[in-house]
Amino acid sequence: MSEQFRNRLMLAVALVLAAIYLFPLYWMYITALKSGSAMFATPPKFWPSEPQWGIYGDVWQSRNMGRYLWNSLVIAFGAVALISVLGVGCAYVLARYRNVWVDIGLFLILMLQVLPASLMITPIFVGFSQFGLLDTPRFAVILAIAAKSMPFFVVLVRATFMSVPMELEEAALVDGNSRIGAFFNIVLPLARNGILVSAILIFMQAFGEFVYSKSMIQDIELQPASVGLNSFMGPNTNEWNNIMAYATIYVTPILAAFILLQRRIVSGLTSGALK
Amino acid sequence: MKRILSSVTDGKGFDIGLVALPLAFLFVMSGLPLVYNVVMSFQEVDMFSLGSFARPFVGFRNYVDLFSQPETRPILFNTALFVAASIAGQFAIGFGLALFFWTNFPGASWLRGLFLVSWVMPGLVVGAIWNWILSGDFGVLNFLLRETGVIDGNIFWRSDPNYSLWAVIIANIWLGTSFNMILLSVGLSGIPKDLYEAAELDGANALQRFWTITLPMMRSTIGAIIALGLIFTLQQFDLFAAITSGGPNNTSNVTQYWAWDLSFRQYDFAKGATISVIMIVFVMFASVVYVRSTRHEVRG
Repeated sequence: MSEQFRNRLMLAVALVLAAIYLFPLYWMYITALKSGSAMFATPPKFWPSEPQWGIYGDVWQSRNMGRYLWNSLVIAFGAVALISVLGVGCAYVLARYRNVWVDIGLFLILMLQVLPASLMITPIFVGFSQFGLLDTPRFAVILAIAAKSMPFFVVLVRATFMSVPMELEEAALVDGNSRIGAFFNIVLPLARNGILVSAILIFMQAFGEFVYSKSMIQDIELQPASVGLNSFMGPNTNEWNNIMAYATIYVTPILAAFILLQRRIVSGLTSGALK
Repeated sequence: MKRILSSVTDGKGFDIGLVALPLAFLFVMSGLPLVYNVVMSFQEVDMFSLGSFARPFVGFRNYVDLFSQPETRPILFNTALFVAASIAGQFAIGFGLALFFWTNFPGASWLRGLFLVSWVMPGLVVGAIWNWILSGDFGVLNFLLRETGVIDGNIFWRSDPNYSLWAVIIANIWLGTSFNMILLSVGLSGIPKDLYEAAELDGANALQRFWTITLPMMRSTIGAIIALGLIFTLQQFDLFAAITSGGPNNTSNVTQYWAWDLSFRQYDFAKGATISVIMIVFVMFASVVYVRSTRHEVRG
């Protein structure tokens, strides 16, 4: 068996495996294009005979998706901004020193990373309502998401800072930079890519966040797309093509961003989570 | 004053400032809710006392009440089954895929990365897709199983009490497999290649090499991944909300969904806090295992 033949065979098997794994995604795209009767046909068609391209516009209009997606964007951008401002400095300090305090800080951060959102929402909701934070529900959700996701961000960004050689910063200090100057002019630009990838990962998580938004945002005008999808899916719904069209509009930008940045996201993720 | 200012711009104060602010934020937003959760689990909380901090103290009554409810035991059992089955499925499929992609052929790393799309998708969307795939009369999974002769009649995944939990488990295995695979791939690529060359010269076959080299070398990675799997499956909420809502009759309910359901559907915040406290203690235990198995990383 020649090397080339083996490689082709393996690639073919890999493509089949990927196709099986990604079938649910394919099924989402195909179902969205089916008409009401084609959707319930037996046997189901694996390729839509009369694609209903107009469905996207209809669902966008009827479900008011522009508003939902805008709220998702506000929440995701807010959370990423807050996490970046607070988390980058924290990750930098935790990467730069090695002593028992850093160990303790890292341990606490890792412990906070594991708290399930659906279990934390009860005290957060009651506490926030007592302090009047629920009057600005999107801001309340941003705060809650920031607290939930910042530990993960810190762990990822710390791994990036570890790879920036300390000598560069020391040289900048010798040249007369202050600590602040060295941080902003030398260290931060060198770690920029890692920070950006981590921020994108956090953005994707916050863009799909559900528990906090569902519990804290009562006003439909302020709800994000995940809550909108949840209220679209009643218990006995049969509008599956419309729901899948909604889901398509919701995830396609995320999937496109992921495929473009795939290599960086995967390497950034693996360097922080486990090594 | 000047000394403090210059320390902030140019000394230890700079570091302390950078780390103190986020830690204070985390303390207020995560630490205090944790404490508040424990406090609430010992109080009587209803819609009228929701706005005040001074609520009647009831000792362990919430805990006693909780464990005397008839649905508590099945829900705890469901949680254990959900966690065990999800981790087993994710790990087995993820390890298989990681070993396959480890053989290294052109395009392997790109295709492997593609699997992670399941991980970046919003949980609600994954739940919606699986809800439709698992639908009883028109679901494509039932169709495929019927055509291949595995089942005779349709399985009503979401409404049959015998299958409702498995519907969520299937979706969760799909969701978590890619993450397991990527982390296992990282572990596999860390094993020195010359170990295998030496074993091959000694005449060890593929299975022997797997048992005597791959598994022992992967021990700490596997420990960390199982602990991470436990943490992630106990965080899983969106799939329950999107597929079964814990029904029918609590047969697919698990503690992390139940805690939310008690607080936000039945407005019994004290019970919700109580079950949260119990589960958080459990999750903390899992995370200690995780931190211990990645200790060399923590130490740097």
